[in-house]
Amino acid sequence: MKSFGTILKFELANYFKSKSYVISTLLICLVCVVIMFVPRFIKNDKSAKDDKEVAESAESKDGEVTYMALYDAEGFVDMELLQGYFYGVEFKVCDSADAVKKLVESEEAEAGYVINGITDYDYYVFNREMFDENTELFTEFMSMSVKMQYCEENGLDKDEFLALEYIPINVNENVLGKDSMSNYFYCYILIILVFMLIVMYGTTIATGVTNEKSNRSIEILVTSTSSTALLFGKVFAGAIATVFQVGLIGGSLLGSYQFNKSYWAIDIGQFLNIPANVVVAFAIFGIGGFLFYAFMYGALGALVSKIEDLNKSAGTAQMLVMIVYFITLIQLSNIDGVAMKVCSYLPFSSYSAMFARVAMGHVEIWEIAISAIILYASVAVMGIIGGKIFRASTLRYGNPIKLSAALKGLKKSE
Amino acid sequence: MELKLTNIKKSFEDKEILHGINFSVKSGRALGLLGRNGAGKTTTIRIIMDVFRANEGEVTLDGEKFVPQSSQIGYLPEERGLYPKKTVTEQMVYLAMLRGKNKKDAIESTKKWLKKLDVIEYETRKLDTLSKGNQQKVQLAATLVGEPQIVILDEPFSGLDPVNAQILKDVIRELIAEGRIVIFSSHQMSYVEEFCEDIAIIDHGDVVLSGNLDEIKTEYGKGRRIVCANNLTLEELKSVCESKLSDMVTVHDVSKHYVILNVKDGINQWQLLDAFKENNVDIKTFGAYEPALNDIFVAKVGEEEAEEEKKNEDEEQPKKKGLFGRKK
Repeated sequence: MKSFGTILKFELANYFKSKSYVISTLLICLVCVVIMFVPRFIKNDKSAKDDKEVAESAESKDGEVTYMALYDAEGFVDMELLQGYFYGVEFKVCDSADAVKKLVESEEAEAGYVINGITDYDYYVFNREMFDENTELFTEFMSMSVKMQYCEENGLDKDEFLALEYIPINVNENVLGKDSMSNYFYCYILIILVFMLIVMYGTTIATGVTNEKSNRSIEILVTSTSSTALLFGKVFAGAIATVFQVGLIGGSLLGSYQFNKSYWAIDIGQFLNIPANVVVAFAIFGIGGFLFYAFMYGALGALVSKIEDLNKSAGTAQMLVMIVYFITLIQLSNIDGVAMKVCSYLPFSSYSAMFARVAMGHVEIWEIAISAIILYASVAVMGIIGGKIFRASTLRYGNPIKLSAALKGLKKSE
Repeated sequence: MELKLTNIKKSFEDKEILHGINFSVKSGRALGLLGRNGAGKTTTIRIIMDVFRANEGEVTLDGEKFVPQSSQIGYLPEERGLYPKKTVTEQMVYLAMLRGKNKKDAIESTKKWLKKLDVIEYETRKLDTLSKGNQQKVQLAATLVGEPQIVILDEPFSGLDPVNAQILKDVIRELIAEGRIVIFSSHQMSYVEEFCEDIAIIDHGDVVLSGNLDEIKTEYGKGRRIVCANNLTLEELKSVCESKLSDMVTVHDVSKHYVILNVKDGINQWQLLDAFKENNVDIKTFGAYEPALNDIFVAKVGEEEAEEEKKNEDEEQPKKKGLFGRKK
């Protein structure tokens, strides 16, 4: 226990003295703070220029006009109604479908419409944007045109119809359980965060182990203390350094947001307003998952003697983390499905699956407790197995040792 | 204190590496652990340190099963390695604390050994900024910083110049004089002869020779004489011995200065001197032969090698005979 404390302190000091750790932490914190301050600077700048902009807005309006092409052989389109749907768009009326195509191809028109009938039209666009809403808007307009035509043919009052069509409905949403829609955002972010931390720090731990093997300091270390204490010290130091870094980054993000809250047009707080039970679940399962994989990475690092061989060895853990990551993200839309339920009990995947179920799905407290017990028991088992692999592999140099051979060796030695 | 290895066997992946190692070493004495590369020395050392577990046999200290505490053993591995980017003091204090010292004692012990090994001026320097020789001395200081009772040194002199080697020799002598157990593994036989009272030669996973070095030398020199003449070259002298004195001696070897003879049973030195005189050999030097450890090592390991080859040949012979037999 005493040597574990010594190793933990030494390894932690390595992190806190490491230039890459300190610089990357400070840099990310700085970027977070700068981002949170951006609206404050923009707003100050904006208010100073407000009057000027109002005066200039009318003049600049002409310059912002978007052109679209239209060919309506039968004259179905009510141009006044169409203009109401496409604000700031000027329609160039063409005499043929080819003319519409040409205007679009030459990019003189952003898009083009060829009306084939009152319920049928062709849409032309040169490069379609990711969020192109033109067809949606034009279809809505066409639909309204049909309704207007019906009113006209049947002698109905168009204004009365329009008033009924757009009657405002007041909705008060009251979510009594979990709101998956609003929880989705932070759940998604936190799953990515744990995934990144596991891969990043797991690789750092494995690299540290391989480095000690490669520079042969392991020779003197394993004779000075137990290999289990060495591995546990490294893993726990990695976990503490991670929590510290994430805390610092999160703190700088939230702190600077609080300071600049009034300048933000959108309320980011609604996304960051994570319920306490979700935070606790994230802490329990995130840390458990981190430790589980960190031990795995540590043991895998001991299987190779050269840094260039590490990718081959650590690939096993990497692959496992990736698979869990994709399954969890894909299954977020089916949070109470069988796949998610199974994943939430497996120690490889419960760190993200159970956390996601707590945040977005329906889960009983006993399920959380069982999953947490399985996870932490697995962490202990992984720690012991990892320590044994570490011990058996650290003094074996040369070609990388296969994981299967290392496990077989353990079985024999027992 | 007596550290004793009894019938130690060790296998890796179904291949037996050690076939039953036996030797012992007492406090205040140094044991030279010798063997060719791959003979099993490092595996034996790792079993003593409990890094590897023996499949059979046991290591005892004063008759009790030896479960080494980190403070008990100091190991200088052949493959040197410390943290290249850490300062000398930082890593030595860390290692001392891992071996059970508190921070204050760890710092004191660090300073003591750095001073003794004449590298105190580099205490705040990063290891990779030091010369190879100084890194070597820091490595030895790191071995001793926990004040171990059992010190295992694997090739401690490699890479050291004569001045630094002398500093190291003094430290090793001091360790022995303080009553620590020193196990000294090296291919440099002259150093082993200088420090070790006992030796154990390991070959192919077996101890092929062990015991007190002086006794081994006497035993190996028994029945052998060295001779050189004023009126003959060494080759002429060898020729005389082989042609005219073959009923009394055989030529064992010709060294740089002497012809080394195996004297046949029942022949005493006076009879031999008379025989030389009768054959007109004007004797310059005649005396008992004390073999160098290197000669003993080469003879013993070579002997084993020859036996091994013979054994292999014998195993292959029946197969060949069988084949020919069938053909006939």
